[in-house]
Amino acid sequence: MNIPDDLMYTQDHEWGKVEDSTLRVGITDYAQGELGDIVFVEFVETGTHITKGESFGTVESVKAVSEIYAPVSGTVVEINDALADTPELVNQDCYGDAWMVVIEMENPSEVNDLMDAQAYGEHLAAEAK
Amino acid sequence: MRTPLFEEHVALNARIVDFHGWEMPVWYTGIKDEHMATRTSVGLFDASHMGEIFVSGDGAVAFLENILTRDISSMKAGKVLYTFFLNETGGIIDDLTVYCITPSERYMLCVNASNIPHDLEWIQKQNLGDAVIEDKSPVTALLALQGPNAGDILKACLDFDLESIRYFTFSELNTPEYGDIIVSKTGYTGAGGAELFLPADKAASLWNSLVGAGATPCGLGARDTLRLEMGYPLHGNDIDEGTTPFEAGLSFAVDMDKPDFIGKKALAEQREKGLTRRLTGLELLDKGVPRQGYPCMKNETQVGIITSGSISPVTGGGIALAYLDVSVQDNEEIAVEIRSKHLRALVKKPPFVQGTISK
Repeated sequence: MNIPDDLMYTQDHEWGKVEDSTLRVGITDYAQGELGDIVFVEFVETGTHITKGESFGTVESVKAVSEIYAPVSGTVVEINDALADTPELVNQDCYGDAWMVVIEMENPSEVNDLMDAQAYGEHLAAEAK
Repeated sequence: MRTPLFEEHVALNARIVDFHGWEMPVWYTGIKDEHMATRTSVGLFDASHMGEIFVSGDGAVAFLENILTRDISSMKAGKVLYTFFLNETGGIIDDLTVYCITPSERYMLCVNASNIPHDLEWIQKQNLGDAVIEDKSPVTALLALQGPNAGDILKACLDFDLESIRYFTFSELNTPEYGDIIVSKTGYTGAGGAELFLPADKAASLWNSLVGAGATPCGLGARDTLRLEMGYPLHGNDIDEGTTPFEAGLSFAVDMDKPDFIGKKALAEQREKGLTRRLTGLELLDKGVPRQGYPCMKNETQVGIITSGSISPVTGGGIALAYLDVSVQDNEEIAVEIRSKHLRALVKKPPFVQGTISK
């Protein structure tokens, strides 16, 4: 299981990467593996305000529909358009080219509520029990 | 419940899911890869959860004629037919295949896993005469070897020539390694190949031999997308006790010329009155994944509902089976409502892709 050290994580298996006042967001290696072949992704539009914990999009695999939840509150300033045509990128490079959205954070201290790599690893181990 | 191949699935690192009480592999490496392996080469599926019910004895034919929708008395040894158990209102209790092992003496019924207990109870209730009913499901394994290259694998592993038998017939083999095998030229993928019934205790060894010869292990996920591309119905999704074979477009498997069978009267009445809905296919014109339960809309009015849907791994587009009002025509454009958005869809009679069945 790949859990990069430089990212922050949610219990719902999203990752966030702090870039000044913005957070780049995607789903984790564990999440893409559980979903299987991803065939469709859809996000709210750029400019949409989202609240921490609120769904900002949908990831669909052959078998399942899954919501993705905002790790922090803020405004979506960028979405990864490439995923609409190549959703399989999420399976291939979930921490890199398959980032999903960039959120301009309303309250950057919310990042402190997210898990670091070690805590997320423990969270996964606990969920597996 | 587990099939005799559970340990092989675990050894292959399969993702295991619950399927109507059965711990089954949904995929090994991925649904798309397994789907494409079956379409272009050869896939191997564990279908051992399915039921095998044997019917024999003097009353076998009369009994089967009453509970099945096909003409049983004219079946020759080695013939397979797709057929139904219907209730009195013409609803589909189960869809199944019937195998004529010895004409007028011995037949095998291959039924859906989730329906085995209900089927058995219903069958036994209809048996007023002297047919002998044996459920051999627990001691029978079923491996589906599917794909254009299935013949090569069968030749290599069983020294059997698949070209020697026709589509929807079977051969009985007696092998030293695997015991008695029924090799049936049938399947649920449209990719061609065979289904192999054999003793449960020999299943793992034949499975490993077929995988060793190059067959790709495939899970229930690929089984579902493959059958959907061909428009084959799944009992519990597309057909059930509330739908008739006529509504489902499966009249080819109902012989209305037979003197009688359970459900015939209701079907005759339905034919007289005309249908109000029919099961057909949808191809999404916009990007999206149609799924069971999504409404089908025309001019803001609901005209149907999706019963099975997914992405076609071959075309990359959304495909579905849906019950639509009979006023909706093939090749008409309607909409599918997905999370309150309306996506364009073309009504199209399946199959959605070209199969590779050698008949």
